[in-house]
Amino acid sequence: MERRVALKSMAMAVGAMAGLPAWASGWSKSTLEKGTLLSADQSKILTGMVETIIPKTDTPGAGELGVGGFVQKMVTDCYDSKAQASLKSGISNLDEQSIQRFGKSFADAGKDQRMQLLQDIDKSSDASQKAFLGMVKNLTIQGYMSSEYVMTNLTHYEMIPARYHGCVPVTKG
Amino acid sequence: MANFNIDSKKARTYDAIVIGSGISGGWSAKELTEKGLKTLVLERGRDVQHIKDYPTTNMMPWEFEHRERLPKEITDANPIASRCYNFKESSAHFFAKDNEHPYIQEKPFDWIRGYQVGGKSLLWARQTQRWSKYDFEGPSRDKFAVEWPIGYDDIAPWYSHVEKFAGITGNKDGLDTLPDGEFLTPHELNCVEKYFKESVSKQYKDRHIIIGRAAHITDPQQIHLDQGRAKCQHRTMCERGCPFGGYFSSNSSTIPWAMKTGNMTLRPHSVVHSIIYDDKKQKASGVRVIDSNTKEMMEFYADIIFLNAAAINSNLVLLNSTSSRFPNGLGNDSGVLGKYIAFHNYRATVSAEYEGFLDSTEEGRRPNGGYIPRFRNVYKQETDFLRGYAAGFGSDRETYNDRSGLGESLKAGLLKTQYGNWSVGSHMMGETIPKESNYVALDKTQKDPFGMPMLKINVDYDDNDEKMIKDYIEQVSEMFTKAGFKNIRANDNHRNPGNDIHEMGGVRMGKDPKTSMLNKFNQLHACKNVFVTDGACMTSTSTQNPSLTYMALTARAADHAVKEMKAKNL
Repeated sequence: MERRVALKSMAMAVGAMAGLPAWASGWSKSTLEKGTLLSADQSKILTGMVETIIPKTDTPGAGELGVGGFVQKMVTDCYDSKAQASLKSGISNLDEQSIQRFGKSFADAGKDQRMQLLQDIDKSSDASQKAFLGMVKNLTIQGYMSSEYVMTNLTHYEMIPARYHGCVPVTKG
Repeated sequence: MANFNIDSKKARTYDAIVIGSGISGGWSAKELTEKGLKTLVLERGRDVQHIKDYPTTNMMPWEFEHRERLPKEITDANPIASRCYNFKESSAHFFAKDNEHPYIQEKPFDWIRGYQVGGKSLLWARQTQRWSKYDFEGPSRDKFAVEWPIGYDDIAPWYSHVEKFAGITGNKDGLDTLPDGEFLTPHELNCVEKYFKESVSKQYKDRHIIIGRAAHITDPQQIHLDQGRAKCQHRTMCERGCPFGGYFSSNSSTIPWAMKTGNMTLRPHSVVHSIIYDDKKQKASGVRVIDSNTKEMMEFYADIIFLNAAAINSNLVLLNSTSSRFPNGLGNDSGVLGKYIAFHNYRATVSAEYEGFLDSTEEGRRPNGGYIPRFRNVYKQETDFLRGYAAGFGSDRETYNDRSGLGESLKAGLLKTQYGNWSVGSHMMGETIPKESNYVALDKTQKDPFGMPMLKINVDYDDNDEKMIKDYIEQVSEMFTKAGFKNIRANDNHRNPGNDIHEMGGVRMGKDPKTSMLNKFNQLHACKNVFVTDGACMTSTSTQNPSLTYMALTARAADHAVKEMKAKNL
């Protein structure tokens, strides 16, 4: 049932995108032609990082939901060059830390090792690494919470409520 | 083959020409075509047809690749448009880009524009309050600007006329400061809004909290169904264009209605250069247009012309319509054209929290909010500033998700929505005083991309506005305090004039041709077959959102124009 809902909204999504006339899609077209900010290896590290921030449990984690790509897209298209540099250097530093401490790239590190690295940044006094983690965490939360999977299956987004009630009891739980 | 024998001038001649297709232009088109006039509607932007040309209207949140935020490249290239609250990924295509129509800001002015069929009627906030007699009597009582040539009784039937067709939701509140209209079922105030309403009415005899009056169809009548419009579905995605026609726009309502009469010709991509004045006939004979695709200049002719280009652009067109009779702009014998520009003051907000009703929340979405009609200086002058302010008022139950930590605990926190206090907020809508020193004019040397003289805008706040901001903050904070709201925070955002999108004046109405441009039927005093019925015509600004008044003035002027035309007076 949930899968059917997802497929149906996918079809609507494709329809809507294909339907965009030139004057409307012109607003975002230029940004699509930019090169990606991160290399393939760095993108993999970012995917590992967002999956560590919001991991797979009985539902998919942020990595599987493509949130890494969303984070990179937002920083590439909507953020200034300082934030872009922070994302790149932050990822390099994270990877160096991983190699130093565990002898392997962040992409190959175990789940607990990755979590250890992020928690250490969170507790550290390195302001730039903390800012990097904060930016990625915020965007990861945004990308995850606004993903099709979460909005369709977990938070039950309504496109067309067709009603407004100004005073209803709070539902518990 | 080609009709070589056709009289080309005849083919370009209509009974009426309407310049602009936004809120007021749409009404001109509807009224004139319904009365049988062959009408040409000129629009400088592209065509936008109802539903078909709303590309984002059915997109899900996750389908916006930047989740409604615009890429930096776009915001950097459009600093003016970017300061508008509604300029975002889902609606940016309905805003004019900054480079499409540059202007000179002698003082900072955020000129927000929608260049397409329907204009800004696709983007407006849809609040539609009538003016009261106190608003029309303002300039005369308080001795500023010039006296309005009409009063509330002149326009009241026309308010009814446009309300019934557009569809206005509201409650009959019985207030003399904000007359009731032809309302559809009102939206609901939520528990905290109702509580505040009671609190205020207990503490103050002349202050009221009401549900907003807004151009939404809450229970469609036959006239709305006849337009092909349906009930508002509470999506609150109005700025994308509404596929249900749930709110009023030219695109869903007046323009297709006019088209159905068979009397309307719509010409998009038509940048109006000027109105042509015929010295011999001593009246306007047509409109000069630049085709925005070909840059070709062409002329169209008509017996009457309705100028509805939006306030500042209507000023621009008249200023650029020079002739030996009118060297300073069409109808500008008085020299007041372009002067006495005013706007609304939206600078201040007051927010707070309420710790009551914690077992309650809202459900669904409401494309409307609460409203506090003006209560200052209404019956007599009682403060050290002139006029007053209305305010928006609303409350929401705060929800939050625990964003602390990393990993599984973070994930669990995010997926468990928790309730906080109710948040309450208010924003001011202040009346500004039209002054001669607030003006628009044409630059003598610089040209825009169409070779039109560039417009200079010189408009600013004054001391009266500063005093009003202070009073609004004090009074609303006091009302909040008395209601037991906590954590009250006031803010002056210092936004630029123009950012309220309620610019008005420059072609004001008035009794005396020596001090005003338009008579009581919105006709140029000095060129009777030209009517200006958009924001440019406003003598003063009041505190109400202006669109409903433009609609009513337009319908009234069109009725007069057709009667005068039949009586051969034009």
